[in-house]
This record gives sequence, structure tokens and C-alpha cells, in this order.
Amino acid sequence: MEATSLKGLTLAVTLACFLPATVSAQAQRKEKPIVTDEGEINAEVAAKAFPKRGFSPYAGRNYPTRVLWGDEHVHTGWSVDAGAVGCTLGPEEALRFARGEQVKSSLGEPVKLSRPLDWVAVTDHSDAAGVIFEIRDGNPNLMADPVIKRWRDMMGDGRGVEAVSEMIAAHSNNKVPPAMKDPKLARSIWQKNTAIMERFNEPGRFTAFIGYEWTSNSGGGDNLHRNVIYRDGKDKADQVLPMTTFDSENPEDLWKWMEAWETKTGGSLLAIPHNGNLSNGKMFALTTFLGNPLTRAWAEARARWEPMYEATQIKGDSETHPSLSPTDEFANFEKWDKANLAGVSKQPGMLEREYVRQALKEGLLLEAKLGVNPFKFGLVSGTDTHTGLTTAEEDNFFGKHTGLEPTAHRYEDVVIKSPQVTIYGSQMAAAGYTGVWATENTRESIWDALKRREAYSTTGPRIAVRFFGGWDFDAKDARTRMPAEAGYAKGVPMGGDLQAASAGKVPTFLVAALKDPLSGNLDRFQVVKGWTDAKGAMHEKVYDVAWSGDRKPDQKTGKVPAVGNTVDVADASWTNTIGAPELIAVWKDPDFDPKLRAFYYGRVIEIPTPRWTAYDAKRFGIQMPADVPMTVQERAYTSPIWYTPGK
Amino acid sequence: MRLKALLREPLLHFLAIGAAIFLYFHWSGGGSGPTSSRIVLTSGQVQHLAAGFTKVWQRPPTEAEVKGLIDDWVREEIAVREAMVSGLDRDDTVIRRRLRLKLEFLLDDAGAATPPTEQELQAWLDAHAVNFRVEPEVALRQVFLSRERRGDRAEADAMALLRTLRSGGPGTRLDDLGDPTMLPRELVLGPRSDVVRAFGQAFADQVDGLALGAWSGPLESGYGLHLVQVRERVVGSVPPLALVRPAVERDFMSDRRRRQLATFYERLLEKYTVVGERLDAAATQVQAGKGGK
Repeated sequence: MEATSLKGLTLAVTLACFLPATVSAQAQRKEKPIVTDEGEINAEVAAKAFPKRGFSPYAGRNYPTRVLWGDEHVHTGWSVDAGAVGCTLGPEEALRFARGEQVKSSLGEPVKLSRPLDWVAVTDHSDAAGVIFEIRDGNPNLMADPVIKRWRDMMGDGRGVEAVSEMIAAHSNNKVPPAMKDPKLARSIWQKNTAIMERFNEPGRFTAFIGYEWTSNSGGGDNLHRNVIYRDGKDKADQVLPMTTFDSENPEDLWKWMEAWETKTGGSLLAIPHNGNLSNGKMFALTTFLGNPLTRAWAEARARWEPMYEATQIKGDSETHPSLSPTDEFANFEKWDKANLAGVSKQPGMLEREYVRQALKEGLLLEAKLGVNPFKFGLVSGTDTHTGLTTAEEDNFFGKHTGLEPTAHRYEDVVIKSPQVTIYGSQMAAAGYTGVWATENTRESIWDALKRREAYSTTGPRIAVRFFGGWDFDAKDARTRMPAEAGYAKGVPMGGDLQAASAGKVPTFLVAALKDPLSGNLDRFQVVKGWTDAKGAMHEKVYDVAWSGDRKPDQKTGKVPAVGNTVDVADASWTNTIGAPELIAVWKDPDFDPKLRAFYYGRVIEIPTPRWTAYDAKRFGIQMPADVPMTVQERAYTSPIWYTPGK
Repeated sequence: MRLKALLREPLLHFLAIGAAIFLYFHWSGGGSGPTSSRIVLTSGQVQHLAAGFTKVWQRPPTEAEVKGLIDDWVREEIAVREAMVSGLDRDDTVIRRRLRLKLEFLLDDAGAATPPTEQELQAWLDAHAVNFRVEPEVALRQVFLSRERRGDRAEADAMALLRTLRSGGPGTRLDDLGDPTMLPRELVLGPRSDVVRAFGQAFADQVDGLALGAWSGPLESGYGLHLVQVRERVVGSVPPLALVRPAVERDFMSDRRRRQLATFYERLLEKYTVVGERLDAAATQVQAGKGGK
């Protein structure tokens, strides 16, 4: 270092030591500045470098801005019951169809979705995962056997057909090489399934979940089915064979299997039950599967493993029932309420243990009793199709199974028959899909959204629905141009929790819905509230919160009158001259008691549109009996937001 | 004395020994095949049952559980034999379809053994380019006018707003123009199907016809009126193999599987003669390939 610089440096340092003293004297009036080699900074200067709100409205935004549409419940010909009725489509065809490709149905009809879905879970019955043998390429154990090696070489030379013929002959003559019988080398249908899921899973474009259905029909047809959805890929999924109902029909055993799986693989699973309406009172029973009293541990397990419930599908809608919600004019919708899956009649007392709204209320009581709410689930939907084709659109409905694909007689064909009950094809509902608020189209992102319940159920149309709960929403938030911004900033999205209201504070909700461009306009946005009182009684009320046009709520009932009907049944058409394409509002609970547990969920209702039966009648030129519904008011159900009082 | 001679006859001894062996064999159940009454449980079989249990429950079975598995397996074996003797396996749709599925799986595995060549994949891509086309892309901004809010004034308001947008410079703030909506105000460069998804098919078709850069409209959608500015367009193209390899391979292998299945059935058909009865006449014989019996 040169002498002059060193001198200069010493001077600078000396001055710097004095500078704070002199400057700070000046700065006594303001904040004490900090000296840096760029000059001094103080709070004022610093504030300019870090503005309270960014200039760009889109930077730093990491909440979901797009709904990803999918079906969490699809069966293919690899499900024994689907294959038995003639479904020849496998998982590959099901995935291609869901992605938007045109395929041929099992009966040879060309079919294509109006728009691709973003994700799907093929959930074939785990009982179907049999064991077959496969020759493994290059596996040294197998290649040691000269016969197997010769077969492999034949396959390599393009003579695979001959190789397989020889293999079959060997099977039938009991001359299978010993190495092939080793159980450790046995490949299952399960692993073929996961391989196909991997081939079609395209992160960012289309998500193919690995999953299966555990199909418990305990006690002769009481539906306790669950879909198990994997967050992970083949490498984890293949480590353990799915649980079947030969192993157990008790959901608690399924949860144990799931826990063992997570421990072994480090992955994540969730289970989605469906069709409580066909469980003859078992789905939300107030005893365990084995008839024992409910415990906290049981409630914790159920809450942990089953964060979502399938609210609507082809075999009926499970939101609520007219006998449970007698003042809800929209409750009598696509009901399958006479029996269980085997056609065994429903007895009094069973209905109370089968529907979503009732179960959500029951969950509040159980939380008070057990300390944990076992029925704290969000809502999703799927089709449960057994055709391999996920169709939930009224004008493109391919039915429950191959025997119910479009024909002139499918409306009068029998779906379930028993001495007590008959269910006909016309009773199928063309439903439903799940809308997920996820940040990316990947397994992880969508699964995480399902786990935190930021997703919702629709009966088919792709209605975009926002449902936020908070303490401080006001009318301005309904007029803002970015409602989601206000929603996430001031509240929680669907699936979330509000707790311990401060004095004078009442829950407020920012709600918004945007119609499906291909479907009907929107009639109204409702908030369904359920709560329990100090005496342990359950209550519910449906509020009309936003609606189209200038209708006025009835003076006495508070209900908004019906929106009207533009459906031309004979022509299977309608016009969007009633209803509105968008609804948005802020609503405040007028009946809030901070000491009482409650939940709130959004229900969005469309104007009437033609039901799939009207399209069938027109296309096949048939006249259906007068009791077959021809119109439908499609709807969406959001996952709830729960309110829990403070201590 | 004739009897004595007879008793010493070697043929008689031979027959007697043979009869004794036959009787013994019959009494002991005669082997352990499907028609016999012997059920043989090998150690390999037990291992297999235990391995299956372990794969589901992530722990080996206890002694009691192994006994349960064995008991259940024996019961199943008896049931299968008895059922097959009674002919329950015939004409059962579920069993038939299951067997067909298993057979086709075997073939599927055989075909998958040989990976496709580079030339095969390129040829597939060339022949089916339309399936792999990268969609045309578009970037746009839109200002929305609601018929619900404006009623009959909507069109006039739209035209006035269009003039404002056209006369404004590139710095014009759009945020406060038009009506609030959940619809996106901007779509950054992305596939055309995103426009269909957000606004509907009819709207997307109208957008196709707009000139680049200029504010245009009003366009009609199921939501209302829109003033639209297309900011960028990228034409669709057929990508090189390297970009779409997994999808091409997937489609190629699917097709190969289908063809192999067809070949397989053709070969097998040669072993059979298919005889069809005509509904209105006596049976006519149809020869299906060579080698019919």
C-alpha cells in the first residue's frame, strides 16, 4: 500500500469516528442515522427501499390463481366388476380420454370430452390386483435358466408371440421353469398399473395419480368404500401391495395399513370415502365398525386419514336429504335413498348417519365430546364410472358401466335390483368433478391442496368458486378487481379455520363464483351454516348471499324466489337469458354466537339446464315416463370453514 | 392241480401285482393333481403365502397368522377343485374375462421386452405429426364490460372504451377500466387452449381473427363484452423428436401392443375351426385358416 493511501485511510477513519458525533447532533430531531460507505441511512431512507407494497401486483403472489379440474374416482376394465360387464378399456385408455383424446368406448362409440381434465385418479378395486408372472429382462436369476433365456432371446428377435405361446404351453403342462415361480419375482396388476400412471403423468400439464379403491361392503352391501390417493410415484407405491377387503373390511385396518405404508416409504396417503347414502347408516355411525364406543384415538385417526369426502357422483348426491333439511328447497336432488348397494332396504334411523351436512354437524358434537372432530372433512367429487370414461357432462354422459352406455333403453335398464328395491338407469346422475385450488399441476401440489381441503365438489360443470372466511371483510372487497388478494390477505380459504372471536367480531365471508363457459348461468350463491348449541342440539340454516337479477328475498322466509326456467326439454336446450355469469358478495353472519361451534360452506346453484335424460330422449327419439326428471340445477359445494370458540 | 399251475403263471403274477399297485394308488388318492384328493402344501407354497402377507402388512406373519393363511389356502384349494368338478368355472363371465385379461398381459410383457429404435420413433412422429403438434400460442389482455351492470348501454360503453384504449399510449393503466370480474385480465403467452378454457370456444375463435397489437372489439363471450388486445402470437409447429420423445414412445408402444395382440389371435385361430349356426338354416362349417381339425 502506498503511503498516501494509508494516510488517506487514516484520515477517513478518523473523520468517520467523528462524523457520527457531529451528524447525530444534527439528527437529534430525527432518528439516529447509521453511517455506511454509501452515506448515511435512517428509517426514512430505508423505508423508500422497502415499500410497504410492491409496485408489481403480481410479484410475490404465491397463492393459487387457477382451478385444476379432475376426477378422483375412475374404474377401468381392470376392475373385476367393470370387466365382467364388458368394459374393455384399461387404465391407458382412461387416461388418454381424461387428457382430452378421442377414444372408442367399450361398445365402439367414439367419445371425447368437451375439454381436457387437468388430473385424474384411476382407482381400480384393489381386490383385482392378482398375480401374474412376467419375464424380467436381464434378471440374472431368471437368465440362469436356459429355457427362460431362450424365451427372452426370442422376444428380443421379435418372436415374442411364439415365446408367449411356448410359455402358455409350459404353464398348462406344468413345466414352468422353477425360477419363474419364485414369489419375490411375481409381478402384480398393481405394478403394471403404476407403470401406466408414470407414463402419463406429465408435471405441469396433466397429473395422473396413483390410487386404488378399497371396496368394503360390510355385512352384505353396506358401502364403506374408500379411494386411497398417493402423493408419490411408482418407486414408493410399488413397495407395498394395496390392502384388499380379503385382508379386512374394517376402515380402522385400512388406516393402520396407511400408517404402516407411510412409515415404510416416507410417502403420503389420504383416503376419500364415498356413497354414505348406500351404507345403510354405517358411514357416519356413532360407534366403531366393531360396534364399540368412539374414542379420541379413533377420531384422530379418521380425521388424519380422511380429510376429504366425495359429496356427489353417479350413484346419487350426498350433500343432504329433504327429511334432514325440510326447509331447504334444493335438498331433494338426485337422491338414492331407499337401500344399500345390494338393494337391502333402509330402516328408520339410518338416513341420519349418511349425509354430508348432518355429519358435519355431528362432528361438532363429537369434537366437544372427544376433543377431536372426526368428521372435519372437505368436499370433492368424482364419477365412479366403470366404463373407463370420466363423463360428468349432461350432453356427453356415458353412464355408470358398459351396460349403461348410451342406448335407447338405458334409462329403463336396471342398475340395482332386490326384492325390496329397484333402481333404474334414469336415476343415474351425470356427476361430478373436483375443482382444486393448487399452485401447480403436479401430484404434490394437488395432493397438498386436497390435504388442506382447498378444493370443492361440483355436479359436473366447471364453476370457479372462491370462499374465504375472516373477521374483516367488507363491501369494498366485493368490488375489488382481485378478490383473491383480499381473501388470502384478510382471511382463510375454504377448508380453513376461524377461532376465538374477539369481542364484537363476527365472521365475514368473501364469496365469488364464475360460471362454466359451456354451462348455464348462475342462479345464486348460498352459505350453509351448521352449529351446535349449549344443550347439544344441532342446527342448520341456508342463507342466500348473492343472486342474479333484481329478485328480492321473501319478507317472511328470507329466501330468494326461484330464478325461472328457460329449458326447452324436447330440444334439450336452454338460453342464458336468466341468471348471471358471475356472482360476488361479502356476507356477515347475522346469527353469530361466539360461544358456539359452527361450520360454513358455500353452495352455488346454476339455472335449470337439460338433464342427460333429455339429451337421450331427443337423440334416440324416445318418450320417457313422466316421473323421469328432464331438467337439473347443477351445483357446487365448497369445503367448509370451521369456527371454534376460545376457551 | 390245474389251479396250482395257474397260480404259478407269470402273467397272473404280473396282473396281480399290477392290480395291487392300481388299488394302492387309488386308495392313496392318486397323485395330487386337480382331480385327486391329495392336497400338497409345499414349503415353497407356505413361503409364497407369507411373502404375500408381508408385502401388504409390512411385517412377517406370526405363527397363528401363518396357520390362518394355510387353513384359508387349503379351504380355497378344496373349493377350487370342487367347483371345477361341478363345472362352476365354465360359462362364468367374470372368470372368462379374467383369463382373457391374464393371457393378454402375458403377451403385453413379451412385447415390451424390445425397446423401439430411433428410426421407428421418428417414423411414427412423421406419420402422426398432428398428434404431437405444439399448440399455437397467444398472449392477450382484455377489458371486460358486464351486461348485468350496464344493460342496454353495454355496447355503447364498449365502443367508447375502445376509443379510449386506442388513443391511450402503451402506459395506459387498464386496472380501473371496465368492470370487475374474476376472469383474468391478462393471459401471458401460453397455449390457445388456455383461452378456450378461460373464456370459451366462441371467444377464442374470434380472437384468432384479430390483428396483432391493436385494441379490438367488442367481442362477445358467455360472460359479457370484451375489448381485446392480442400482444403476441406463436404459430403451432411439429417439434423435433427430442422434445416429445416420451409421448411418441408411449403412442408407438401402444400401437405395437395392439398389433401384436392381433397377430397373436390370428396365430391361435389357426389351431381352431369356427363353426357357426345360421339362425334360419342348418349349421354351416367355416374353415378358419390351415390346420383346422
